[in-house]
Amino acid sequence: MSISLPTYTRREIPLLGRRHRLRAIIVTGLRREFKRPAAIVTTGLGVGLVLVTSIVIVLFRGLFIPGQPLDLSFFIVPASNQAILFFVTLMASVVGSGLIAEDLNSAALTLYLSRPITHADYLIAKAAILSPLIAMIAVLPLVLTPFVAALLGLFSWTVALEAMGLAVLLGFLFTAFYTSVTLLLSSLTRRKSYAAAGVFAVTFGLSIPATILSLSIGNPAFLYLSPWEDYLAVAQAAFGASARQLDWPWALAILLAATIVASFVTYLRMKAVEVVSG
Amino acid sequence: MFGEVRAVDDLSVSIPEGAIGLVGPNGAGKTTFLRLLLGLVRPTTGTAKVLGHNIAEGIPVRERIGYMPEHDCLIPDMTGVGLVTLMGRVSGLDADTAISRAHDVLQFVGVEEERYRKIAEYSTGMKQKIKLAQSMVHDPQLYIFDEPTTGLDPRGRTEMLDLVRVIANSPGRNVVLSSHLLPDVETICKYVVILDGGHQIAAGELSQLLSGAADRLRIDVRGDRVAFARRLQETGVEAEATPSGVHVTRKPGVEAAIFEAAKALGAEVRYMGREIRSLEEFFLELVERSEAVVGV
Amino acid sequence: MSTVAEATGVSKWYGEVLGLNAFTASFGTGITGLVGPNGAGKSTLFKLLIGQLRANQGTLRLLGENPWNNVPMMRRLGYCPEHNQLYGWLSGQQFVEALLRLDGMPTAKASTAATAALKVVGLSGAAHRPTRTYSRGMRQRAKLAQALAHDPDVLILDEPLSGADPMARVQILRTISDYAKDGGHVIMSTHVLYEIERITQNIVLIHNGKAIASGDIHAIRALIDEHPHAVRLETSHPRQLAQALARMEHVVSLEVPADDVLLIRTRKPDAFYKELPGIVADTKLDVRSLESPDDSLEAVFRYLVG
Repeated sequence: MSISLPTYTRREIPLLGRRHRLRAIIVTGLRREFKRPAAIVTTGLGVGLVLVTSIVIVLFRGLFIPGQPLDLSFFIVPASNQAILFFVTLMASVVGSGLIAEDLNSAALTLYLSRPITHADYLIAKAAILSPLIAMIAVLPLVLTPFVAALLGLFSWTVALEAMGLAVLLGFLFTAFYTSVTLLLSSLTRRKSYAAAGVFAVTFGLSIPATILSLSIGNPAFLYLSPWEDYLAVAQAAFGASARQLDWPWALAILLAATIVASFVTYLRMKAVEVVSG
Repeated sequence: MFGEVRAVDDLSVSIPEGAIGLVGPNGAGKTTFLRLLLGLVRPTTGTAKVLGHNIAEGIPVRERIGYMPEHDCLIPDMTGVGLVTLMGRVSGLDADTAISRAHDVLQFVGVEEERYRKIAEYSTGMKQKIKLAQSMVHDPQLYIFDEPTTGLDPRGRTEMLDLVRVIANSPGRNVVLSSHLLPDVETICKYVVILDGGHQIAAGELSQLLSGAADRLRIDVRGDRVAFARRLQETGVEAEATPSGVHVTRKPGVEAAIFEAAKALGAEVRYMGREIRSLEEFFLELVERSEAVVGV
Repeated sequence: MSTVAEATGVSKWYGEVLGLNAFTASFGTGITGLVGPNGAGKSTLFKLLIGQLRANQGTLRLLGENPWNNVPMMRRLGYCPEHNQLYGWLSGQQFVEALLRLDGMPTAKASTAATAALKVVGLSGAAHRPTRTYSRGMRQRAKLAQALAHDPDVLILDEPLSGADPMARVQILRTISDYAKDGGHVIMSTHVLYEIERITQNIVLIHNGKAIASGDIHAIRALIDEHPHAVRLETSHPRQLAQALARMEHVVSLEVPADDVLLIRTRKPDAFYKELPGIVADTKLDVRSLESPDDSLEAVFRYLVG
């Protein structure tokens, strides 16, 4: 133990601003996630599988989807790849569920919030850890597929570029929805496993009953409950594919509203956490 | 002045620089007070300023504060140095300065190679040291220590209190020590704020609050205490035998009389000094009085 | 009966991990403090004393009997464990009552005994609130109430003061003192040494699973030869006083750290205190104050444990 207090004349070097403080949290968070095998495997499998299946569909389009015109509307097919839903859910529950829950459990939240950042900063940082990982599955393959297709000369570059642009927008929508819902679930509990279960419940617990109900009762409006169906409705409209049962404006509104409400509730939840306990 | 709090739920406190003890029964408002200092809570009425900044703008206040919480709050799967560095960066230090400061403060608190191991493997003492280190890494002007010796064994307590004392005695740094262990507060702080029921019921320099009877002496006698007191009375000294020793009123030559009496009776004088009230006695009396007024 | 508990060569291992290693000590009547660093074996010793664990080696006697699996013995013990989790949904009264009934007490008697115990520890006002609303100090007192309620012969208390606010601390110490005055025996562990010193002079010091000292604090202190006893005297003539005191052959060193202070170190503190009044009276040198900064449990601990 040394006997004198190490000094540091802060006044000479000014403190760095918000961006740097958040960056520290984000970079450290990402690094910690990638030390865990679960995150690596999920990312690898997710990106790999989705990309491979999408490209296979493109290559063998003749076999898989006879009669599908080779224009922009073709790209609804890779966008509807259920593997995206599965792997995004997996990623959100494996990586995202613990992001806030673990900080609540270890009370590390006290350390973060007693520092010069706001609750909003903390949430933004956590969102910025999760969303790139989800985006790798929801955005990246969908952007690469038209690119590869154009490279192989199967589609024109105009179509391909439009498809890539739409993939980015749709992917971000999907990513934003899942990021905010996962963070909300993570903020509601101290146990990562409960939040993970919650993520699965949102995906399958909503879609499966919604599908069953809509089929048995014969009212397609139930499908609005399923995030995946909402996403598909918006995607179909975007790619100009034949319309299904849902109106895309409603579907889009639902997804956006859910995202905003989830973020807001998460923020309120964070504000309610006592940083100094009595 | 580093802090000035006016009328918050009827709490008016004004805090000078240096080492300040924050003392009070449970539910007295200490927790709320600390939240106010950290700018995490806005007062319902009134204003408060810490280190020259209004607490309504939480961020500039927290840039200058280092907080060592009472409860466990460390991230188990990070290393000691990793956590302290991260916290330094979240406080605004750039990456290189953060790492360098992290190692410096870890050295100061006495964490050696353990800093590279995961916090999950640390003992209680080391965890407390990491908590202290993360509060220091950005060299704040105000330190808030909330029960820093919780869970530590006697050696750990001494080490921790020594560290707190070094920090408290460093120029330009202020310490608020919140603790139930009043003798600890007594040894480290020069000034104390006592809260009860959301109000400040006493505040001031310890030496003044506790000076009590400077004109009295307490003697710890081995031998017949009563006989000793009687003998002193015979020589014209006002003396009283109590369970805590013999108390005499000072006057010129009383010390000599004490030793004469001891020699004559074959008794031993084991302690002779000012009859100082301890902070604990003062505090308990005060709380009893204030609760009697409120009718608790 | 002069000893309440007697341990001879007691060892307890958890696989490779050390609990107690040939621990030998005896705990006398009244209050004994058990003091030691974290991990020294205090909790292991307590669990052995209350019969929850069996020693690998050695003999342990509590009130003359082997505590292992000794149900009648458990009735005569009151135990306060370290952790603070009570059954949160029960009120203080219900909590103590429930434990008493587990002990075999009939319901009506349990109710009165619980009320009385809660009164003793000062929790009457809060007895009907759920324990999850209790502060740390109140929980400690509730635990103490359940330990006392069945009128045990021995109280075994593991850190009964930790986290308690000053009022609760004073109350708990007073309750323990009163209990001992009424003939009860207490073995309690704590890290805050000045609080133990307030209620007893008897300690057992444990380190690395062994007892490294036991008995009266001052007697132990006097035995620690390598660290001569320091005494601080305030006087206007420190050097003359030093000369006068240097005559005593057990004085090891004399220092004048300030113009009016004499610091003396002696190997035989008892002899020193005996001779001092005579010397001061004879030389007529004024001594304004006298104190011994290291005749305390803190100092004993530091010297023996480090």
